[in-house]
Amino acid sequence: MNAIHEQRTLGRAGGPAHQRMMAIQTTFADDVEVLNYALTLEHLEAAFYQLAGDYELGTDPYGNNINEYVTVVGEHETAHVDTLTAVITELGGEPVAASEYDFGVTDAASFLGTAAVLENVGVSAYDGAGQFIQNADLLTAAGSIVAVEARHAAYLNAVTGESPFPAAFETPLTPDEVLEAAGPFIVPAS
Amino acid sequence: MSHAKFESMLQKAIDTRMNEISRRGLLRNAAIAGGSMAALGTVGFAAAQDATPADDAATEEAPFADGAEVANYALTLEHLETAFYRDGLAELGVDGFTALGFQPGVFDRLSEIGAHEAEHVVALTGVVESLGGEPVAEAVYDFGYTDAAGFLQVAQALEDTGVSAYQGAAQYLIGAPEILTAALTIHGVEARHAAYIALLNGAVPFPEAVNPTLTPAEVLEIATPLIVG
Repeated sequence: MNAIHEQRTLGRAGGPAHQRMMAIQTTFADDVEVLNYALTLEHLEAAFYQLAGDYELGTDPYGNNINEYVTVVGEHETAHVDTLTAVITELGGEPVAASEYDFGVTDAASFLGTAAVLENVGVSAYDGAGQFIQNADLLTAAGSIVAVEARHAAYLNAVTGESPFPAAFETPLTPDEVLEAAGPFIVPAS
Repeated sequence: MSHAKFESMLQKAIDTRMNEISRRGLLRNAAIAGGSMAALGTVGFAAAQDATPADDAATEEAPFADGAEVANYALTLEHLETAFYRDGLAELGVDGFTALGFQPGVFDRLSEIGAHEAEHVVALTGVVESLGGEPVAEAVYDFGYTDAAGFLQVAQALEDTGVSAYQGAAQYLIGAPEILTAALTIHGVEARHAAYIALLNGAVPFPEAVNPTLTPAEVLEIATPLIVG
């Protein structure tokens, strides 16, 4: 993973990440479990962008109001939550619910930095999990979501001073690696 | 700006983009009448011609005989993109883009994109060979642009098409997890390219919550007219 990932996954309070990841699947018995894994991440992202209105994010290098674009990103994540929830239900599965989250955001810079982490990790998570999807239509649907996550990631990299496309290939992450990155944001149920 | 106004602006931008940079727009812009179906031969599969946009690919005869054909399909597009950036950037130079008001760094970013496409060509060539296939070669292309602004419009169409093409083809790699994952890691990068080019074009980098998917037949309809030899 890139430097942002490392930077953002270090130094989070709350104990070892692996103790805080109970909500996320680590193995996939079937397509529904893969989709629930994706839904877990989409819930996290959708909740994160609820914070967007708390910060004045300014204007990006291309003249766009960042708050407005980030709002669109958040709407996409919510749409992904709705879609995945519906598909899982249709397949007879039990969609995971949203958790409590602590993103540790304190200002505009940390909001955008965390957004970039979430989007880049999201892309890597889908890329790592795609191989476990057995149904063609579901794989295509997942592809149509991950492409949008990659577009988000490019934008957030650009507004945080990183290359929008740091490498010629994405870095697929295993579920365990994704948990390492995303787990610290999830507040364990008490 | 109010949210409603932004949404209206967003919709307008999407509509404009769909009209101006759509695949049909690209076909017009390319202004090439000679895109014969003979060029399909370079792509290495035939059944795709029978598919229609409305087809549910999962229930149709698969357009690819094996993983090598899927990889060659992707390689065909990557060759096209590689040639587009390599030749276009050499021809237009950094001045072509600074003249549009861009910082010189934009040219460097576009060069990075071109380098990525070249890496994709190398990787996919290796995949095709590893599967016992014959990698398709680079062809001769005519992209139909005349200046840097036109170049960026074509770049948008190519990247958007590339993303949608990988999405449409991924399902044919189910059962070949390593190749599927490799394809996915390219797919995401094409999406990043597409988002960046959109920013340069003043368009929304993520126009929809769900990225459109194109079947191989639809992609060929877009790409074939660009292949002139």
